[in-house]
Amino acid sequence: MLLALSEEHKEHLSFLPQVDSAGKLNVSSDTVQHGVEGLTYLLTESSKLMISELDFQDSVFVLGFSEELNKLLLQLYLDNRKEIRTILSELAPSLPSYHNLEWRLDVQLASRSLRQQIKPAVTIKLHLNQNGDHNTKVLQTDPATLLHLVQQLEQALEEMKTNHCRRVVRNIK
Amino acid sequence: MELSESVQKGFQMLADPGSFDSNAFTLLLRAAFQSLLDAQADEAVLDHPDLKHIDPVVLKHCHAAAATYILEAGKHGADKSTLSTYLEDCKFDRERIELFCTEYQNNKNSLEILLGSIGRSLPHIMDVSWRLEYQIKTNQLHRMYRPAYLVTLSVQNTDSPSYPEISFSCSMEQLQDLVGKLKDASKSLERATQL
Repeated sequence: MLLALSEEHKEHLSFLPQVDSAGKLNVSSDTVQHGVEGLTYLLTESSKLMISELDFQDSVFVLGFSEELNKLLLQLYLDNRKEIRTILSELAPSLPSYHNLEWRLDVQLASRSLRQQIKPAVTIKLHLNQNGDHNTKVLQTDPATLLHLVQQLEQALEEMKTNHCRRVVRNIK
Repeated sequence: MELSESVQKGFQMLADPGSFDSNAFTLLLRAAFQSLLDAQADEAVLDHPDLKHIDPVVLKHCHAAAATYILEAGKHGADKSTLSTYLEDCKFDRERIELFCTEYQNNKNSLEILLGSIGRSLPHIMDVSWRLEYQIKTNQLHRMYRPAYLVTLSVQNTDSPSYPEISFSCSMEQLQDLVGKLKDASKSLERATQL
């Protein structure tokens, strides 16, 4: 799959071959900014689409750069692709995600309305992350519900091992 | 158990065969238990024809006294001898004491459950539901291809009658971590109950 570069993008990137390898730039700040933006766009779009080496080379080819520059861009893409994808994945709409779980066993012995009780309970502190914010929720449950929770969630984990899920994972590529 | 003078007076009236014959006594006693324990009990619990001849003020007083005493006894887990002692002090005859103790014994469990359910506690997890999805792409990132779980805990709050839900997403590894920790908790619970 080829990267579609608009005329504007090509124009921004056309400044790249002019960059002296010694590092001194003799152009306006606007041009530099556009160049950087163009480069950023090239790399993030390529990473997002996860295009192959060959496709990347072909996409860059249309810019008419030198062989050396093309090689450089390709290396840049391959080296940074994984990290760029990790950053991009954080931009997706997301729900609070699981971070950690702490638990504690309690036994209620008495309350204002009833003395001499033996009421076991499990107190749980659920740590969640959302958009960088760390959130904790303190909850409680009884032994029966705890067993039910474990059973239900184990079933959830088992689901990934079923034939159906395996087939889907194999075939959607 | 601390009981007010009002309760004692009410019981003394209940003890008197002149104010309450056997039948009326039994009816009032049952009405007291019913109004405490039966969620559907309506206000007409004292509207029995066999209680009509008794002054309504006396009826209400005795009903309140009985209900108060029942709650106090339930709260402290009073045994038969405690009940008997107090009722004797209120001049109950043997027969009425036996009747009271029998009714109390019959309703003891329900009473304890009721009293135990009153009070504040942390939000209580009632149930869990989960969803397994296979993430393919977002508008920011294509060709993701990874499974993810969405877990929802339904929670009951003692403060508000609402049932809020706590939802969160997790990867397979995270869910394994979560389940592992919950299993540790339940194993620990099992060991504790065997001590």
